[in-house]
Amino acid sequence: MINIKVKCFSQVKYALGADELTFQLDENTTSVDLEKIIRKKAGKKLNNVSLRIAINKKYQKEEIVLQNGDEVVFIPPVQGG
Amino acid sequence: MVIIEIINKPIKSFLITNDANQNGAELVFNGRVRGTEKGKPIQYLEYEYYEGMAEAELKLLANKVCKKFTINHLYCRHRVGKVKAGEISIHIIILSKHRKEAIKAMDWFIIKLKKNVPIWKWAILNDGTKVPSDCIHPN
Repeated sequence: MINIKVKCFSQVKYALGADELTFQLDENTTSVDLEKIIRKKAGKKLNNVSLRIAINKKYQKEEIVLQNGDEVVFIPPVQGG
Repeated sequence: MVIIEIINKPIKSFLITNDANQNGAELVFNGRVRGTEKGKPIQYLEYEYYEGMAEAELKLLANKVCKKFTINHLYCRHRVGKVKAGEISIHIIILSKHRKEAIKAMDWFIIKLKKNVPIWKWAILNDGTKVPSDCIHPN
């Protein structure tokens, strides 16, 4: 098993009602698998929200296998400025 | 030179002192908080950011803009936390030899910032409800 920390911002925080979540996941769980878990947990609240993924503070375009201790953020459309 | 700051206090302008006689253009942009969100009046916006990544992405963009356009300096302060309507949320200064590249660089920088830098805003409505900005509240 691996431990993963998910930090939540904006619409993800709003949908999940949490700043941060921790998951114990099977080894070989990928970023796409975790996104499915997050979307399911949110019910329908993230259905129309596009999410990019950042792992350990860097955008990750490809699906990758998560590593124990990774910090993951599903990034809804950003709004700086 | 590139200076990037994310701060949780009112924004003061940068004091430009370096090689001013080499830069014919000094372009200043201040972004301010509007008093309404989708037509509804707000008390203020609350900016949140992903600490560590937001600074890194902002710096990456600033360095890219300096390479892509022939500008000499870019200074950027982005405010987070509570920002009242009318207050400055972002302050950018670009210095270059001529105005055209500074104007192009400013536009490019802001477009990319709004696409890539993990900063978000929550609207605090007059009744105290806090909702993600641009998010349609079901109620």
